[in-house]
Amino acid sequence: MAQDKVADGTHQVDWEGIERSPEFQELVKRKRSFTIPGTVFFLTWYMTFIFLCAFAKGFMGERVYEGLTVGYVLALTQFLMVFVLGLLYLSRSKNVFDPLAEKAIERHVIPDESPADGAGARADAPNEKVAR
Amino acid sequence: MIVLAEVNGLALGVFSVVLAITLGITFWASKRASSTDNFYAAGRGITGFQNGLAISGDYLSAASFLGIAGLIYLYGFDGFLYSIGFLVAFLTVMFLLAERMRNAGKYTIADVLSFRLRERPARVAAAIGTLNVAAFYLIAQMVGAGVLIQALVGFSFTVSVLITGTFMLTYVVFGGMIATTWVQIIKAVLLMIGIVVISIFVLERVNFNPIELFNRAEAAGQGEGSTFSLAPGTFLKNDIDLISLGLALVLGTAGLPHILMRFFTVPTAQAARSSVVTAMFIIGGFYLLTTIIGFGARAILGEGGVEAAGTGGNLAAPNLAEELGGGAGTTGGDLFLAIIAGIAFATILAVVAGLVLSASAAVAHDIYSSLIRKGQDSEKQEVVVAKIAAIGIGIIAMAIAIIGGEGLNVSFMVGLAFAIAASANFPALLLALTWRRFNTVGAVAGVLLGVGSALLLIIISPIVWGGAPGAPNTGAFDWYDLNNPGIISIPLGFLGCYLGTILSSEKGNEKEFHELYVRSETGLGAEKAISH
Repeated sequence: MAQDKVADGTHQVDWEGIERSPEFQELVKRKRSFTIPGTVFFLTWYMTFIFLCAFAKGFMGERVYEGLTVGYVLALTQFLMVFVLGLLYLSRSKNVFDPLAEKAIERHVIPDESPADGAGARADAPNEKVAR
Repeated sequence: MIVLAEVNGLALGVFSVVLAITLGITFWASKRASSTDNFYAAGRGITGFQNGLAISGDYLSAASFLGIAGLIYLYGFDGFLYSIGFLVAFLTVMFLLAERMRNAGKYTIADVLSFRLRERPARVAAAIGTLNVAAFYLIAQMVGAGVLIQALVGFSFTVSVLITGTFMLTYVVFGGMIATTWVQIIKAVLLMIGIVVISIFVLERVNFNPIELFNRAEAAGQGEGSTFSLAPGTFLKNDIDLISLGLALVLGTAGLPHILMRFFTVPTAQAARSSVVTAMFIIGGFYLLTTIIGFGARAILGEGGVEAAGTGGNLAAPNLAEELGGGAGTTGGDLFLAIIAGIAFATILAVVAGLVLSASAAVAHDIYSSLIRKGQDSEKQEVVVAKIAAIGIGIIAMAIAIIGGEGLNVSFMVGLAFAIAASANFPALLLALTWRRFNTVGAVAGVLLGVGSALLLIIISPIVWGGAPGAPNTGAFDWYDLNNPGIISIPLGFLGCYLGTILSSEKGNEKEFHELYVRSETGLGAEKAISH
């Protein structure tokens, strides 16, 4: 496994220090306050739909307009939910999470030319991978 | 070779075009597939948009394209339920796994687990999960391929499976992930064009009024013996089974090795994220259109087309295309049928290639290189082993598909693959990335309990013992009538992870967790793309 981690010399990074830094804590807090409610919301709405299909078949088969049923309309809300949450997450990540993540690691980035410590017998160092 | 007399020449022509294009790509990619980064991860040089297309190509199997359209044709609303689970599942992937996987992993699920857990047991557990999911999914797709090609082109079942397997192996062995990715991208584009065109032809019949389509479908589904309904409950009759299936679908995608592996092909977490959203829109659009195809088939082919649609209604979409092109025997009808057949073929090839690649990575990277050779082999050796593994896996899948034959139920096997993925891979992965206390014993217990309970429950499920889906008391035991084990095996997978962790004296590796945690959330130290 060592070879998986030393690949770009990041073994010198003070991971615990980053984890404790206020920037990282802020990133995790902001991310969680979006992804946890988001996950709870979509799972709830989706499982509500599934439970209605299982236990409220009559209701799901009721007409909204001619051949359009309640079930089909609720199914369409699932599609809408996926599209809206997807776009919302993209914009939130770009505007909030990515800048925070950059701030959290900014002081800890080690230049690429730092030598790998040679612990891995595999030719995994980046400079050897470009040959082709 | 036994070839049936009635080979459809036009369909064969379209097949040949698909094969020629994909072989061209493989030849181009073959010059680049020598390093492990290239072979497993396409050099991490795939863009977010390309990967979104490739994920769609990897995910939308023939079971999605022909199977769901067929189920909607036969049963109406219940067929649509599958699509919703398949789609909403991408929110699970996006919120919980996609970026973290990209940041923390290298080639396989096991890379993420072994990052902070003891390597040997973690890799073995992850490989067991991966190989089980891939096996069921792969065999299901091979059987589906055999049935479809037999029906659409006229080759015998055995010949159809052999052709599919041979081309699948050609892409993977000679072109690795680069060829597989481009086959998936081309397939996604062809599939979307195909489904949009058929949808336009269907909607044109109802003056582009979808409500009128529902009305006509309902009117056509009134006949005696018809199972069609605009309300749920005609196909998935067992309520608890329906909930179990719903759960397995929404959590299963986040444990599918061939889908998760795609996140290693992009250069950054940002690209991983945008690829999920791209895939959501493509897959969502696709599933919306399958309802038009399914309802359209019901409205246009009517109850009279049920027999011709075959088991599970798999041929409803091709038959609809033939009808829209002008009907059987006309040039337009033959052409439409041939094009749909070609698209279905491309669809199958793209999915099985992705599956076999993920399984070969589990064998070569996790078992051979990391466990047997303990990382002392060269990249070249590992790629050779991966290719040999791919051939072995491919041959086994072809053999089981041919021996099991057409009788194997495709959607049943796919549902099982999702249930195992959700019960075994998903809990361990999620907890490894987020739970500080999680340890090796927990991961191994979770994966084994998840795989074991899912397999056991499937073995005692009614469908294995010849019971009709949803019919009560037809199984081996009268107290157990679920065909999908998800509702029991998924909680068991999580429970195994939890109990294993808290009951063992092993202390979680704190230091490694700090690194994994920071790395997965920020991307610091993540695997880089090959510079071109």
